[in-house]
Amino acid sequence: MSLRQLLLRLPRYLGVSGSPRRLWWSPSLDTISSVGSWRGQSSRSPAHWNQVVSEAEKIVGYPTSFMSLRCLLSDELSNIALQVRKLVGTQHPLLTTARGLVHDSRHNLQLRGLVVLLISKAAGPSSMNTSCQNYDMVSGIYSCQRSLAEITELIHTALLVHRGIVNLNELQSSDGPLKDMQFGNKIAILSGDFLLANACNGLALLQNTKVVELLASALMDLVQGVYHENSTSAKENHITEDIGISAWKKQTFLSHGALLAKSCQAAMELAKHDADVQDMAFQYGKHMAMSHKINSDLQPFIKEKTSDSMAFNLNSAPVVLHQEFLGRDLWIKQIGEAQEKGRLDYAKLRETIKAGKGVTSAIDLCRYHGNKALEALQSFPPSEARSALENIVFAVTRFS
Amino acid sequence: MASCRWPWRRCCSWRPAARSPRPGSPGRAGPPGPPSAADAGAQMSYFNLVKSLTSAFPNRYSMSRFHHTTSAACCCSKTRSGEKYTDPFKLGWRDLNGLYEDIRKELLISTAELKEMSEYYFDGKGKAFRPIIVVLMARACNIHHNNSRDVQASQRSIALIAEMIHTASLVHDDVIDDASSRRGKHTVNKIWGEKKAVLAGDLILSAASIALARIGNTAVISILTQVIEDLVRGEFLQLGSKENENERFAHYLEKTFKKTASLIANSCKAVSVLGCPDPVVHEIAYQYGKNVGIAFQLIDDVLDFTSCSDQMGKPTSADLKLGLATGPVLFACQQFPEMNAMIMRRFRLPGDVDRARQYVLQSDGVQQTTYLAQRYCHEAVREISKLRPSPERDALIQLSEIVLTRDK
Repeated sequence: MSLRQLLLRLPRYLGVSGSPRRLWWSPSLDTISSVGSWRGQSSRSPAHWNQVVSEAEKIVGYPTSFMSLRCLLSDELSNIALQVRKLVGTQHPLLTTARGLVHDSRHNLQLRGLVVLLISKAAGPSSMNTSCQNYDMVSGIYSCQRSLAEITELIHTALLVHRGIVNLNELQSSDGPLKDMQFGNKIAILSGDFLLANACNGLALLQNTKVVELLASALMDLVQGVYHENSTSAKENHITEDIGISAWKKQTFLSHGALLAKSCQAAMELAKHDADVQDMAFQYGKHMAMSHKINSDLQPFIKEKTSDSMAFNLNSAPVVLHQEFLGRDLWIKQIGEAQEKGRLDYAKLRETIKAGKGVTSAIDLCRYHGNKALEALQSFPPSEARSALENIVFAVTRFS
Repeated sequence: MASCRWPWRRCCSWRPAARSPRPGSPGRAGPPGPPSAADAGAQMSYFNLVKSLTSAFPNRYSMSRFHHTTSAACCCSKTRSGEKYTDPFKLGWRDLNGLYEDIRKELLISTAELKEMSEYYFDGKGKAFRPIIVVLMARACNIHHNNSRDVQASQRSIALIAEMIHTASLVHDDVIDDASSRRGKHTVNKIWGEKKAVLAGDLILSAASIALARIGNTAVISILTQVIEDLVRGEFLQLGSKENENERFAHYLEKTFKKTASLIANSCKAVSVLGCPDPVVHEIAYQYGKNVGIAFQLIDDVLDFTSCSDQMGKPTSADLKLGLATGPVLFACQQFPEMNAMIMRRFRLPGDVDRARQYVLQSDGVQQTTYLAQRYCHEAVREISKLRPSPERDALIQLSEIVLTRDK
């Protein structure tokens, strides 16, 4: 089965109960304030999320051109696949990334592309400008917009792969032979570059310099965002970076929001929508991505597993907020108290954080962004696609 | 073959030992010295070289006596009468003042360390070979088209973009090759680590793409994104290898085009598109860039055998150590078939690198590769000569010869 086929069928395998969409669409202002009170299945169950995704896919006409077919069938990709196989048995992160891309049924798999397609459909053709009339449209989406969705995923995946590069001078004997890591790095760089080159070519084919500029600047933002992540995730450093939540938001915009926001805007530009529409699309993308990230950060603190000593990211939203409330000195003291013989007891630290205000304010922040995203959507006419976009927001802001 | 007197040999008589392909030759005669002294020395001799080319000026096209006479249809025999002959680098630099500052402006980001890493190679110490060709080509095309003596801002932008794309690929290549030094200093990956180095490369590429988009010309965007794809494909070609001897050379030339010549060819084409609507001119620019680019790389591969590391700024026999069989090796293999086994195992066994190097220096691999480079240069000259005479056109002609005679 090809990679693409696998990606498309995965959500369906997980079961779609097909409850009527009408329940999800609630009119006007109720929606805006009711992000936290929407009834329905718990968003923590995978079935729910996948339901949202699969319904969305139906609306955009089962995207058949995700992960550009041309790209998938190329010699280079089979070359890459062969090389990645050689990494089986090593500890290079690329293997994890590759596995994640193929097997991961979690919602962050193709989210960006799907959102771009949905917003393209939700906006529809531009009423003002009729110059797009000779573009072909399938399921209410122009082929250039579909292309853009692919390009967005290509850029995201490229950086995902580049994130997995290993610093050779930090290797320990437990990481395995040096040459495996060197080889893994080599393949990771080439694969990432290959995906970026495909993205660039795709952008060139769109024949729209403004879109190229938008996506190129999104790439620049993403690189900076990934850079920040790298800098703050040093293994030995148990201490949260001394940043407040506003700096955190800026960095998170770079690493998670920019690509989606600018892609959504670019989709509007392709259909020749005016600046206001473009801005609304940007706002939706930005806020939705932020709430999605905060949701992801909250998972270790929301899940009910009691004896969970799994590590969590100390630069995630709840922890950064916790530190901000407490002040840095007290936070460092708490970390010290949670340390035993130099090793951090994550379970204990988790309880400490849960006892504070970090988690609840992170939930509030998540809902704040969710509401901003919904506000932005109001300027789009009601439609299936718009509902699907709203459902996505509801899904990432549910915490019960 | 042995009877051929390569033109560069004549001009290089002031440096006796350096170019000799005799095995065991010590390489550059004279004191190694600190890098700056060596640079100054190289530059001095470089200008001497230029002067000797000046005197050889009317005979330049007699390089063709090795092959065939240049067709009479081109106006290559005329130059601007009375124009003072200048060094192509000097000529090109008139338009490139502030090149590195301008590139650094494109890399204006808030993250201090990432900015520092990205700016690392834009310190003014690179050869800036590609930007020079680009601006000279821009002027040559503009003059050819309508005698315009201006360079458009968009054309100058292409020079920056070309240098940025080139540098981004170098940063990644250094991580892939685990290189420790380049241009006489430590590589980005050695100083900051591989993770950050890869991101720095991505950043430079994204900045180049933004600058490209801002030119606002979709044809130019298409031309240069082709380069990005070619660079990656070139690296892939280098990863794989051909078992068949006959395919090896074609594979080598294809890789050489993709990794080196494509950028130069397409940058030349891009500036010609911006300066002139005639597709014939675009093709001339492309062909010039392609041929010079291939020649450039062939000589680079030769220098890996004949030069020593101080001059190059990076270690030599680097290609062999990476398992790469370049021009001199492939030619040498024809004389010494026992090299085949080493080529196939990519010089992995201890002693392979040294043995291969010895074979190459004993064979005529270096000469053959140089001769091939000359032919590409000749082709480049033939193409560019079709443009209207101008100082810049002549500078481009001269540049193609400098490509053959450079020593780093």
